[in-house]
Amino acid sequence: MLTASSVHQVIFKGSPEGLRLYLPEDTAFDEVLLQLQQRIDAGERLWSGGGKVSLECGQRLLDGAQIQSIQELLQSHQLRLTQVSTTRHQTAVAAAVAGLSVDRDLQERQPVTSPDTPVVEEPLYLQQTIRSGVQIVHNGTIVVLGDVNPGGELLAQGDILVWGSLRGTAHAGTKGNENALIMALNLAPMQLRIAKFVARAPEDSPAPGQAEVAYISDGNIRIALLSEFGRRR
Amino acid sequence: MSTSGKVIVITSGKGGVGKTTTSANLGMALASMGKKVVLVDADFGLRNLDLLLGLENRVVYTILDTLSENENDRCRLDQALIKDKRQPNLALLPAAQTRDKSAITPEQMKKVTAELTESYDYVLVDCPAGIEQGFKNAIAGASEAIVVTTPEVSAVRDADRVIGLMEASGLKHPRLILNRLRPQMVEENNMMSVEDVLDILAIKLLGVVPEDEQVIITTNRGEPMVLSATPTQAAQAFLNIARRIEGEEVPFLSLQVPDSGFMGRLKALFRRR
Repeated sequence: MLTASSVHQVIFKGSPEGLRLYLPEDTAFDEVLLQLQQRIDAGERLWSGGGKVSLECGQRLLDGAQIQSIQELLQSHQLRLTQVSTTRHQTAVAAAVAGLSVDRDLQERQPVTSPDTPVVEEPLYLQQTIRSGVQIVHNGTIVVLGDVNPGGELLAQGDILVWGSLRGTAHAGTKGNENALIMALNLAPMQLRIAKFVARAPEDSPAPGQAEVAYISDGNIRIALLSEFGRRR
Repeated sequence: MSTSGKVIVITSGKGGVGKTTTSANLGMALASMGKKVVLVDADFGLRNLDLLLGLENRVVYTILDTLSENENDRCRLDQALIKDKRQPNLALLPAAQTRDKSAITPEQMKKVTAELTESYDYVLVDCPAGIEQGFKNAIAGASEAIVVTTPEVSAVRDADRVIGLMEASGLKHPRLILNRLRPQMVEENNMMSVEDVLDILAIKLLGVVPEDEQVIITTNRGEPMVLSATPTQAAQAFLNIARRIEGEEVPFLSLQVPDSGFMGRLKALFRRR
């Protein structure tokens, strides 16, 4: 189960009541706003207008000004902040003052699964170009509709699918899953990592335009044409 | 209908790719088209824009003096603006050379640029290199951005970073100026082409400026190259970019290497293999 303490980055999750916005606890607020803007840009197409958003802060302290910045950012994309869930008194007060309904847990809801089993989330779907310096971390599969530029990094617990050119760094199976795959329409990465294995792209790559998949076989990262990989399996 | 001006920031990430040259020449070109232009030098501590315009001897007050907390030290905005004697539509708001990037805040920049839009059609902000405080100050008041890069992997990588940062702070759809292109090297496959750069940066192309020695000469003289009676290709490129900024559809210059004479045609035959 997703709790605020388990997210490393800003995450939007759909729920029957609307969108839940999870904020990481240890990240500086400037960085949080940057990530929030990126996630909204990347996911906008999939949300219908008038969406209600519930903010999950966990232990994170937020003051009135910060809540207002988040509210304004959401508003500019036709999203409405309606509720704040928090375990901290200060945050609860700030939210109440801002006119939001407050859900206050005196202690955070414990995850149903034991702490040892990795929590796997739904795929993170991003529709944008991942530019240099942008790092996306996700406890699940990452799907990018766009390019990943050199200097951009994807870290996924599951697979990585790039429906575009992968020129940056991709790390699939971050929690140790050696069955994780990295696929791209144009695989031209700076570096590939699956679980604990690391590889550079080979010098002689096939002509661009051929989709390829990287996978682990016999303790090495191998790359195959997507069409051949399908047959192999 | 608002008649106030636009604030455009000219940025790059990487240093030395031509932001200040671009700012000076675009500013001068737009002014020559009859627009009122003010150039704001946001490179505190390492200011260059006044040099390129040949106005360094006339700097008395800087942008910091207009913001001074001490009433006795404070000057009016129009006192700090230096009007160009060659082109009365153009003015410069100089940066402070004796302070550094921490001397001003983004809010202060926003306030100054907003005030300038009341009397100028274009407020062009010359951004310093980097992505720290200087960069954040420069983009603070801007509604549009122009990214300058050269066709080199390091410059393109930095430009990509800067585009990402601007997109994340709401400054979307920047446009690209590809500077210092050498068509010969592109043809020999020794330099990134316009398509290679656009493939990575994926933003709209505003213009391509070829490498030109005149940049060095005119910088030393303090005379933006667009002022020349016989503009070189690079100067013409800047003039065209200014027209595109004004909304005109101007075809891109053909930057093929001129092959004149018999030897030229012979060489071209071998090159095409």
